[in-house]
Amino acid sequence: MNLATGPDNAMAQPPAARTPGRDESARLGFRLTLPAQVLVLFIAVFPLLMQLYISLTDWSPLDGLSWWMAWESWNNFYNYYDLMRDNRFWSAMWRTFVVIIVCVPVEFLLGLGLATLFVDDFRGKRVFYSILLMPMMVVPAVAGYMFFMLFQSGGPVNDVLSIVFGTRIAIAWLSDPTLALIAVMIADIWQWTPLMFLILLAGLVGVPQDQIKAATLLGASPWQRFTTIVIPKMKAIIIIALAIRVIENFKIFDTLYIMTGGGPGVATETISVYIYKLTTQDLIWGYVAAIALAILLVLSVFTVYAMKRMAAAREVEA
Amino acid sequence: MSTIRLQNLVKRFGDFTALRTMDLDIGDGEFMALLGPSGCGKSTTMNMIAGMEEPSEGRILFGDRDMAGVAMGRRGVGFVFQNYAIFTHMSVRQNLAYGPRMQGKPKSEIDRRVVSIAKFLQLTTMLDRPAKGLSVNILQRVAIGRSAILEPAIFLLDEPLSNVDAAFRAVMRTELKQLQREFRQTMVYVTHDQLEAMTMADRIAVMDHGELRQVGTPLEIYNNPANVFVARFIGSPGMNLLPGQPSESDGGLVVDLGLLGVTAPLPEPLAQALRGHSGEVVFGFRPEQATLGVAGRGISAPVTVVERIGARTIVHLGEDETAIKVVIDNEIDAVLDAAVLVMPQMDAVRIFDRATGKAIGGIRG
Repeated sequence: MNLATGPDNAMAQPPAARTPGRDESARLGFRLTLPAQVLVLFIAVFPLLMQLYISLTDWSPLDGLSWWMAWESWNNFYNYYDLMRDNRFWSAMWRTFVVIIVCVPVEFLLGLGLATLFVDDFRGKRVFYSILLMPMMVVPAVAGYMFFMLFQSGGPVNDVLSIVFGTRIAIAWLSDPTLALIAVMIADIWQWTPLMFLILLAGLVGVPQDQIKAATLLGASPWQRFTTIVIPKMKAIIIIALAIRVIENFKIFDTLYIMTGGGPGVATETISVYIYKLTTQDLIWGYVAAIALAILLVLSVFTVYAMKRMAAAREVEA
Repeated sequence: MSTIRLQNLVKRFGDFTALRTMDLDIGDGEFMALLGPSGCGKSTTMNMIAGMEEPSEGRILFGDRDMAGVAMGRRGVGFVFQNYAIFTHMSVRQNLAYGPRMQGKPKSEIDRRVVSIAKFLQLTTMLDRPAKGLSVNILQRVAIGRSAILEPAIFLLDEPLSNVDAAFRAVMRTELKQLQREFRQTMVYVTHDQLEAMTMADRIAVMDHGELRQVGTPLEIYNNPANVFVARFIGSPGMNLLPGQPSESDGGLVVDLGLLGVTAPLPEPLAQALRGHSGEVVFGFRPEQATLGVAGRGISAPVTVVERIGARTIVHLGEDETAIKVVIDNEIDAVLDAAVLVMPQMDAVRIFDRATGKAIGGIRG
C-alpha cells in the first residue's frame, strides 16, 4: 500500500505531516463529507450562479420560457447600468440606511444599559429577564399587526399621548411619511433590543471581575471603569452584536411590510420591500437578480470587515 | 507610610462568621504576613483593609484615621491580586499609567512617573509591549508598579506567588522582599505557604477558623508556638505533639507518654510552670530537634517509614496518636519495625495544655 503512494515515497525525506496514514484519513474524511458538500453546492453555489446568469438577462416569468433559456434575452450588463440610475432603488437604499443608523445605535445603547443593570442581582431579576426577552419571541408578522393596531389614529399610542399632554391627540402615524418611518423603527427597536441585551449581557458577564476590582482600587470611577475596562474587554462581542443587527436591519421587511406596506407612497420602502414589489408586481426578475447580487456584495464586504475587526479585538483581549 | 490597626474586627456572611474578633497592630513600614490554611479568614481580613468588604463589627484605622465608609479607591492602598489582574488589553505603559490617568493627572506628569517607576522596576524595555503574554515575574512587577505609582501608604498582596511554579517561587520571593525593602511601605501579605511567610515577613499573624492564633516574628512563632495549632502548622514537618501525664521522678518532673514510655526530666523553668498545672498535657518537640538512638529507656517507637529527601532524612515512628517524625542529617540504617529510642533536646521541648491547646510556661527565647 505504501508503495502505491508513488510521489511521496519517491522523495528522499517526505515531510512528517504527509505520512501515508494522514493521506488515508484525509481521503476518508473527504469521502465522508462528500454528501454534505454536494448539498452545500446545491443550496448555496447553484442558486448564486443561477442568479448571476439571470441578472445578465431580461428574463421574466411572463416570457413563458424556462429560466435556463434566459440567454435569449441576454442584455450584457444593462441591468447593472439601470441600477445605477434607478432613483427608487437609491431612495430605498437611503431609507434602509436611515433605519440602520437609527435603530442599531438605539438598540445597542438600550441593550447595553439593560445588560449593565442585569449584571448585578436585584429582586425579581428572573421575572424581568423573561419579560424582556419576550418581544424577541413574537413572530415578526404578529409584531407587525400589533404595531399596526397600536399606531392607528384612534389607537393606544395616541391615547397615552392624549393622557400625557392633557388634550385629545389623533396623529395619523402610519399615513405621515416621516412618522410612518419612525413608527416602523420603534417596532424594530421594540422587537430587537432584547437580542442586543442578551448578547451584551453574555459579554458583560465575561469581563474579568478582578480587573474591574483592580481598576476600582486604582481610583477609577464607575464610568471610567466602564470605558477603560468593560467596553474594551467586550469589543469582540460588541462587534458581533452590531454586525448581526446591521445585517438584519439591512434586510428589514416583515414587520414593516405588515405595518405600512412600504407606504404611504414609498415613504417606508426599504430595499427589501422594493425588491419584493419588483418581484411580485413588476415581475422583472432579471433586474431583481441584479439588485440582490449588488446587495449581497455590499453585505459581504461589510461582513468581512466586521469579522476582521472582531478577530483583531479577540487578539488583543483574553 | 502608615500603621494599620484592626480593632475587634468581625465579619459575618449571613450565618457564617468568617472572622471573629481580630485585633492586630501593624507597624509603619512593617512586612506582616497573614498566614493560615484556606478558609481561615485571612483574605477576608485583607479585603476589609482594602475596603472591598465592610466589617460587620469593629474598626480599621490607618494611622489614626478611621476607614469606615472610605471607598476602596480612596484609601491609599496598593493591592496586588493573586493572579495580578493586569489589564490584558493594554500595554505595560498603559497599565502603569492607569492610576494617575484615572485621577486626571497631566500627561507630562504621568509620563514622568511611568518612566521613573519603570526604571525602578526594570521595566523600561517592556513599556510598549502588550501586557498579554508576559511572564509571571514581569506581571508581578507590573502589578506592583501599577499600584506603587500612586505611592500608596499601604501595600496589600493576596497570595501573589500561588500561581507561580515552585522553581520560580524562590526567585520571586527574593525579588518581592527586595522591593519591599526599597519601597519601605507597610505591607500586608496573605499566604497559606509558611515558607513565604517565614522568609519574607517581619512578623507573622497565624490564623485559623476566623481567629488569630498567634502574632510574632518568624522565629518566635517557630520556637515558641502559643498553641498546638501553630505548633502543628508551622514547620515542615510540624511539631510532634504527644499526649501525656506529668509525673515526678528522681531526676525531676517527667511526662508519662503511656505506651511510648517516659520522657527525660524537663528543664527546671518548664517543670516549675508545669507543677502548678493539673490535667493532661501535650508534649511537643520539633522533628529537627531530636536525635535517634538504640533502644533503651525513654521514648521508644517502631520505625514505620523512612523518607530520604537528599540532604536530610525524615524518619516516621509509631502511628496515629503516637506518630512521631524525626528529621536527621545523616543517612541511617533504620530497620523498619525495629523500636528506636527518640531523644528530644529537652531545652527545646514545649508543653501544651491538652484541654485548651495553649502553651504552658510562657515565652522563652
